[in-house]
Amino acid sequence: MFASLLLSTFLWSASPADTISDYYEIEDIPMPTGLVAETGGITFLPDGRLAACFHRGEVMLYNPKTKTWKLFAEGLHDPLGVLAVSNKELIVMQRPELTRLTDTDGDGVADQYTTVTDQFGMSGNYHEFAFGPVRDAKGNLYISLNTASNGASIRNEVRGQYDELGRKGRMYACVPYRGWVLQITPDGKMKPYASGFRSPNGMGFDAQGRLYVSDNQGDWLGTSKLYHVEEGKFYGHPTSLVWRSGFPDIDPLTLPVRTLDSMRTVESFAFPHEFMAHSPTQPILDNTGGRFGPFAGQLFVGEMDFPHLLRILPDEVGGQMQGACVPFLEKAGSNGVPLRIGNNRLAFAPDGSLYLGKADHGWLGDRGIQRIKYKPGKVPLDILAMKLTPTGFALTFTEALDEKTAQDLANYRFRSYYYEYHQAYGSKQIDVQTVNVTSATLSADRKTVSLKVAELKPSRIYELNLGDLRSGNGQKKILSRSVCYTLNRLNI
Amino acid sequence: MHKLLGLLTFFMAVQTVRAQRDTTITLSAIGGLKFNQTRVIIKPNTRLKLVLQNKDDMAHNLVVTRPNSRFRVVEFALALGDKGPAQHHVPVMDEVLAHTVSVEPGNTDSLHVTLPEGSYPFVCTYPGHGSLMYGIIYATNEPKRLPPVAEDMNIPNPNRTAETAHANHRATTSGHPYTMKLPAVYRTFMPDCGPAAIAVGLPGPDGGQSYVFDAGQCRLRYAWSGGFVDNTEQWDGKGQRLTKVVGEIYYRDKGRFPWRIGNGEPQPHFKGYRLVNRYPEFHYVVNGVDFRELIKPLPTKRGLIRAFTLTPSKQDVTFLADAQPGIELKSSVGRFENGVLRLPAGTRQFTLTIETK
Repeated sequence: MFASLLLSTFLWSASPADTISDYYEIEDIPMPTGLVAETGGITFLPDGRLAACFHRGEVMLYNPKTKTWKLFAEGLHDPLGVLAVSNKELIVMQRPELTRLTDTDGDGVADQYTTVTDQFGMSGNYHEFAFGPVRDAKGNLYISLNTASNGASIRNEVRGQYDELGRKGRMYACVPYRGWVLQITPDGKMKPYASGFRSPNGMGFDAQGRLYVSDNQGDWLGTSKLYHVEEGKFYGHPTSLVWRSGFPDIDPLTLPVRTLDSMRTVESFAFPHEFMAHSPTQPILDNTGGRFGPFAGQLFVGEMDFPHLLRILPDEVGGQMQGACVPFLEKAGSNGVPLRIGNNRLAFAPDGSLYLGKADHGWLGDRGIQRIKYKPGKVPLDILAMKLTPTGFALTFTEALDEKTAQDLANYRFRSYYYEYHQAYGSKQIDVQTVNVTSATLSADRKTVSLKVAELKPSRIYELNLGDLRSGNGQKKILSRSVCYTLNRLNI
Repeated sequence: MHKLLGLLTFFMAVQTVRAQRDTTITLSAIGGLKFNQTRVIIKPNTRLKLVLQNKDDMAHNLVVTRPNSRFRVVEFALALGDKGPAQHHVPVMDEVLAHTVSVEPGNTDSLHVTLPEGSYPFVCTYPGHGSLMYGIIYATNEPKRLPPVAEDMNIPNPNRTAETAHANHRATTSGHPYTMKLPAVYRTFMPDCGPAAIAVGLPGPDGGQSYVFDAGQCRLRYAWSGGFVDNTEQWDGKGQRLTKVVGEIYYRDKGRFPWRIGNGEPQPHFKGYRLVNRYPEFHYVVNGVDFRELIKPLPTKRGLIRAFTLTPSKQDVTFLADAQPGIELKSSVGRFENGVLRLPAGTRQFTLTIETK
């Protein structure tokens, strides 16, 4: 008896602390001397080299084997996105245009800078950043255009048609397609695709090829969010409506909020301010087939202000994309290298590791590039899925849960609230309510917990705080404790 | 007794001063997590009204702390977590002397505080802002004894950006991980041009020559000699400020869009450029005619040689150029008549020389 007590004490004290660092390693990529590494875009070439573009206009190639950098192109205007076409060709989004960079003579340096499209306006306002491109399965490219900020003026000369009806408001669209996602077909035609964006600094596709675009808390956005974007839809930031075909000659801000609200398509995933995201960036699909851990097929989203990424737990309810987000890589770090903030761009390397390009750009953030590597074979205890049921939620985990912790109702605490859709900047959490969990049922394989809750209402966020869930007889602790489900539509 | 007398005198002095001084100072929150002023110097015991005007595009607050308490207050503010917004990100603690509420972009709030002699930090305690966005209030009768701004440890280092550039010797001149080599191209915001500007620096004696090509309008806008560009301000922060011309502008095209194809209204479209020994050759299309334009410096004096290649057109192709004092325009084909150059039918290549007289 004494011996077994001693043994269990020994085991307990010898068991690992079980933190994120047991599963993921972080390393800083050495950056070239003299580079101000505000990273606007990263992508991998077919040959495994990393291409990155930077604020001061450089496009550089990094060979992970030799850890050396080489200049590919220079002189671009604040490039904020790059897509590899081949080992000799990249498409880069810079402020004034989408540009194809080609090394035609094979000397390793781009000599051809071809305009793919510049069919959008520029007022000269600094906030008119241009993001993308991403490419769908059919070869269409998508770019997204930031609105301008009334924190600064516009230039005397603008490019494109000027419309003063789009000049009102905190963030404005006085030249064409500001606040839009544009599609460029393989034959080079530009099509205005979707409107209603404020600061859409991130685009990506999920495993089913659905396009997602992130947007940043501010006027008309009570909190930051991720939209499932489809052609022709309007996503809620009004100023871009002036560039919608057939929209009447009015200032969209004169429309009643109720009207705008009825016109808009809401986000699939809200990222509550203050703890999930302040400035979400690029969504990226984990297409590594498990080489990056147990989350294959899910989306990760970058974040500027917090030292974590977001992980998306999708749930399709009656054709409506919605679901939850959790912080990912929270408190991650290894060998004295913590996960830093400013994670503006993400790219999976051919070896399944995740590269994170940092930027600050006059806001919060950081510089440089970090690489995240999964330690193969080790499975963290984490939430894998959150599905809405008619009476509550079904939570699925990466590992079989310890029964006692899984069935303890005190380990599931829900709050629910919503953010106001209004012209003001951001929103408080409105109508915050505690939602009681009435039962927790563990599945036979002990991986899924079905929770019944006292009440479910649509158009609210259900914030779940998980307690001390364990697996492996207490050896592993749940990693993600804060889970926010965006309930647009009830499952009835 | 002496001590007491001293205290008493001090107290009376304070009272007198307090009765006399009221002052209002306005601080602006500006882009890049900065206050427009980082040092405020006042007489001790002034009744100070500090106004925070938020000219940035995100919310800020303003907190005045006890001496040497900025770090602690910022730490406590951060620790508020999701309770932060409800209390304007201001922790309840003795070190906080006064504060504003959260000030949304475009709005204003103020605080009142009376400070005895000393150095009082002010700071925005929004999460993450506190390490960059701060300054100091000196309540002093001897402002001359304050440290020079460049050596003042109480204010953010104004040379942060410059330091990064100076971290490496090679980068000092170029701001890049390589030495600047002419010809060179910068797409950037240039003065007196549309927002889609391309600045090109050309090699030559005395700093060489440079020009700006407007990619929005597909035309040369102006040229200068004696240097290329200064990107320091354009690169700082969010990129609102313009790149500066280094040198002296000697030529400006102030006229209309120069090309006419037949009688139609010209509709230029920019198609990009290719680099030929680092010289950009611009490609643009005007009403179905492809133009390629490569600009080189005159070898002997201030001036540019514009070499054009164009695809055939059944319509007349003309180039309009208003006469400019001090500038001579020469074409390798045809002749300017009243500011109009009509290209001979079938012209596929020609040069236009801009020469200073």
